[in-house]
Amino acid sequence: MSEAPDLSEAEALAAEHALGVLNARERAAAETRMATDPAFAADVEAWRNRLAPMLDSVASAPPSPELWRRIERLLPANDNGALMNRLKFWRNSAMGGFALAAASLAAVVVQVNQPPVTIEKQVPVSPQGQLLSASVVSQDSRVQPLFVAAYDPDRKSLIVTSLLPEGSERDKVHELWLIAGQDKPKSLGLVESGKAKVIALPTELLAKMADGAALAVSLEPPGGSKSPDGPSGPVIGVGKLSKL
Amino acid sequence: MSRIAAGEREALRQLYDATSAKLFGVCLRILSDREESEDVLQDVYVTIWRRADRFDGARASVMTWVSTIARNRAIDRLRARGPMAYAEQVDDLEIADGSVGAEALLEAADDSNRLQGCLSELDDRTEKVIRTAFFEGVTYEALARRMDAPLGTVKSWIRRGLAKLKGCLES
Repeated sequence: MSEAPDLSEAEALAAEHALGVLNARERAAAETRMATDPAFAADVEAWRNRLAPMLDSVASAPPSPELWRRIERLLPANDNGALMNRLKFWRNSAMGGFALAAASLAAVVVQVNQPPVTIEKQVPVSPQGQLLSASVVSQDSRVQPLFVAAYDPDRKSLIVTSLLPEGSERDKVHELWLIAGQDKPKSLGLVESGKAKVIALPTELLAKMADGAALAVSLEPPGGSKSPDGPSGPVIGVGKLSKL
Repeated sequence: MSRIAAGEREALRQLYDATSAKLFGVCLRILSDREESEDVLQDVYVTIWRRADRFDGARASVMTWVSTIARNRAIDRLRARGPMAYAEQVDDLEIADGSVGAEALLEAADDSNRLQGCLSELDDRTEKVIRTAFFEGVTYEALARRMDAPLGTVKSWIRRGLAKLKGCLES
C-alpha cells in the first residue's frame, strides 16, 4: 500500500475516539468537543461509519424471546412531538407566530456554513458521572441544529453553543429551557447568537439533568420570558438530552 | 426511522425484529456473556427509541447506525467491568475470528468487503491492534502494556494504520 498522508490532528483524534483507544479522560474531552464542534462531531461519525463494516463479519445470534417485552416496558412515553405540544400548552402568547418564526429561522440556519465558535480551552472532565448532550433542532428543519449543549456532571455545568449567526435576531433574545418530567419548564438563562456559554446549574436542577430530559429554546423580548411559568414567545427548537 | 422518532412503538418493534439477532451477535462478540449482552441490547433499543430523531439517512445506513450504537454500548459495559478486563497477556491479543471466512466474505456487503480488503493490506501487527481496539475498546495505555511496547510507538502504529485505511477506502 502506498504511503497515505497523515491525518490532521483533529481527524486523528476523531478516528481514535471512533476506534475506542482513548482513555476515560480523553474520551470525555472528545465527547464534550463533539457537542460543541460540529466539524469534529462529523469526523467522528464518518470514522464510525468507516469502521462499522467490521461488525458485518460478526455472526448473528437471536436474543431470548422475552427481551422485547422487557424493552417495551422501558420505553418512555414522551417523544419530541409530545414535548413540543407541552411547550405550546405552556406558552401564553398566540400560536400564530410559531410556524413563521421557525420557518424564518430555518432559512437563517441554512446560511450558517461554519461552526461559529470553537472553545479554545479544553475543559478537563473527570471520567466519572454521566455526560449528556443535546442538539436543539427546529421541528421544521431537522438537518442542522440551532444549538448544541453538553452537560458535564462534575463541573455541574452545561456548555451551550448557539450555531445561529451572530446578531441574527434584533430586539429579541434566545432563552434556554430545561424540561424534565412533568415539571414546568425551568429557565436556564439567555444565550447569545453565535456564542458559547457555560451555565453553572443550581443544585436543585442537577438531579433533573438525566437521559430523556430535554432542552428547548424560545424567542423572547429583551430580558427573557414575560411568563413565570415558561416561554412567553415562540419555541424555535427542542432537543432531548442523551448519553453520548 | 422517522416513525420511531415520532414515537411509534410498532416501528421500533419492526426494527427490533429485523436487527436484534445481528445486534445481539455484536454484543455477544464483545462481551462473551449472554446475560450482560441482553442487558446491553435492551439499553441499545431504548437508546434508538430516544435518539431516532438524530438519525441521518444521508450519512449512514440504518444498519450501520444501530450496529455502531450496539458496539459502543457493549464496549461501555466491557470497560465498566474494570481494569481486570484488560489484564490479559500478550498471547491473548490473538483474535479468534479476526480473519473472515470465505463464505462470510461472499455474503458481506460491498463496503464490508472494501474495509476487510483495506485492513488486510495493513501489516499484520497494525491490523491486529486495530481489530482488537475496535472489538474490545482497549485504550492505548492497555495496548502498550499488553504488547510491551512504548505508548508513543503503539499510538503511531495506529495513527499511521488509520491514515492508510482511509487512503485505501477512498482510492
